[in-house]
Amino acid sequence: MGWAVVTMTVVTKTVVDRPLVDRRRFSKLVLFGGTALLWARTGVSTGLFEIKKRMGRFLRPPGALAEEDFASRCIRCGQCGEACPNQCIKYFGAEAGVQLVNTPYIKPREKACILCMKCGDVCPTGALQPIEKDAYVIMDEVKMGTAVVDTNLCLSYQGKTCGVCYRACPLPDLAIRVGRLEQPHVLDACVGCGLCERSCIQIPQAIRIIPAHDAQTHNVLAP
Amino acid sequence: MYKPVINGFMRHINKLRWLCLSLVFISLILLPLFSVYQNYVSAHAYDLLLPNQKILYDAMEFISDPFLSDPADQLALVKGTTWSGTFFGFKISDPLAVLAQIFSGLEIVWPFVVTGLVPVVLTVLFGRFYCGWICPATFLYELNTNLGLLLGKYGFVTGKKQLDQRWKYAVLLGCLLLGSLTGTVLVSSFYPPAIVGREIYYGIALDGFGLGALFVGLTLLFDLFVAKRGFCRYLCPGGALYSLLGQFRLLRIQRNVKTCNDCVKCNAVCEFGLEPMQDKFGGECNNCGACVATCPTDALTFTVQMRDAAPQGVGHLGTAYKRQQQEKKEGA
Repeated sequence: MGWAVVTMTVVTKTVVDRPLVDRRRFSKLVLFGGTALLWARTGVSTGLFEIKKRMGRFLRPPGALAEEDFASRCIRCGQCGEACPNQCIKYFGAEAGVQLVNTPYIKPREKACILCMKCGDVCPTGALQPIEKDAYVIMDEVKMGTAVVDTNLCLSYQGKTCGVCYRACPLPDLAIRVGRLEQPHVLDACVGCGLCERSCIQIPQAIRIIPAHDAQTHNVLAP
Repeated sequence: MYKPVINGFMRHINKLRWLCLSLVFISLILLPLFSVYQNYVSAHAYDLLLPNQKILYDAMEFISDPFLSDPADQLALVKGTTWSGTFFGFKISDPLAVLAQIFSGLEIVWPFVVTGLVPVVLTVLFGRFYCGWICPATFLYELNTNLGLLLGKYGFVTGKKQLDQRWKYAVLLGCLLLGSLTGTVLVSSFYPPAIVGREIYYGIALDGFGLGALFVGLTLLFDLFVAKRGFCRYLCPGGALYSLLGQFRLLRIQRNVKTCNDCVKCNAVCEFGLEPMQDKFGGECNNCGACVATCPTDALTFTVQMRDAAPQGVGHLGTAYKRQQQEKKEGA
């Protein structure tokens, strides 16, 4: 980052005829700059970043980088949502804090990803990686989360044959398989698109996606 | 008596610019509508739509039907906003987006840097033309200026405060540094063109306007009550970057001192408060051409030059120049 600061200073000095900061304003700048640094490195910003935990459980669109990289790569252009034919990609508002504001999310219970892979193609920065639309490539490279079945809620585990999640899955028998009474078992290939959660007929849903970017917070089966 | 050579095209350059601005703004409204329409088409869902959605579908079909054979596919060719967009498979991004991403991620993503190349080259050649000819926020700000003029007829006094134009460089630097401290592209929340495109999209295709719309509203009020075009001139981080890039632009407006009659119309019409009549353009000039269009004697023209001309003194058709000449004669 040092080179960037140096370049900016040099550029500013060559462009403006007198220095941007004279002696009178220097102390002021130090005061404000120091406050900004403190703000960024201590409690306030940490508080802002913890808003993420209060935003509930959400998925990133398919092909998203790890969360820290995603926040710094995503330029908030909104093209992924515009390209999404299922309109499942939505955007956080300002209440979500500095790191999340205007970034895309998917809430699978509201509308789940249909794995069309158009968002990755349209993303200019590679915050969403372009991924070929092929079942096996998708299984290898997409990891939005993993489905988890709550056997206490699932109808099939309660003796009433259901199997809706199995029928909704875009990768049946690869990501999810059914046993006796169509009891669902999630397999390792599950990419976490959320179509099972979207279609679950129980209220609250008996199958839900644990997001890959935030598995620690959401490993408990809470609504 | 000097007879002005009426340059037909240059007389209308401001109208051309307004056409350009309006087209960009209208396309920012149309693209989300088309995006929604495209989703309806690809879902084959006409019979399932609500009555108001059917109206949207019919209207968009009416507009696009003569040009498209396969809307679901062809409408995907143009996407995005002026912040970053896809144009027939060619991705174009705002140079500020590229710079902000480099600062926030502390990494250079080459495929993304390439998308900002075309605007950078155009800015180096044509200066801050983006601010005058394309920026969707400029469309709102210029309408806002006109609103101020209209209100002025009813006794409203618009803000005339003069700030230091270098504030915007500080805003740019501050946004970039805060971006790298927080690890996010922070500028996108303080850069009106990015906000306008995004908020229109949110308003039309998603749940509704966000806080960004309020921010743009506040900047409009700032322009109205504090300083004319204040945000663009003093605070806009993108304007700062474009000013830096356009320092050595080739296309410049220049005054022909021999046909200038000192009428000061150019100074009055300049949105950015520059003084074409005193040959003061600098990096701020966004080549909008308002002064060229308004000049009654065609003294202002676009020229290809590396540097602005040095101050040339009073215009040769003005009374001040005649007085000077007379004094010289009497002195001699």
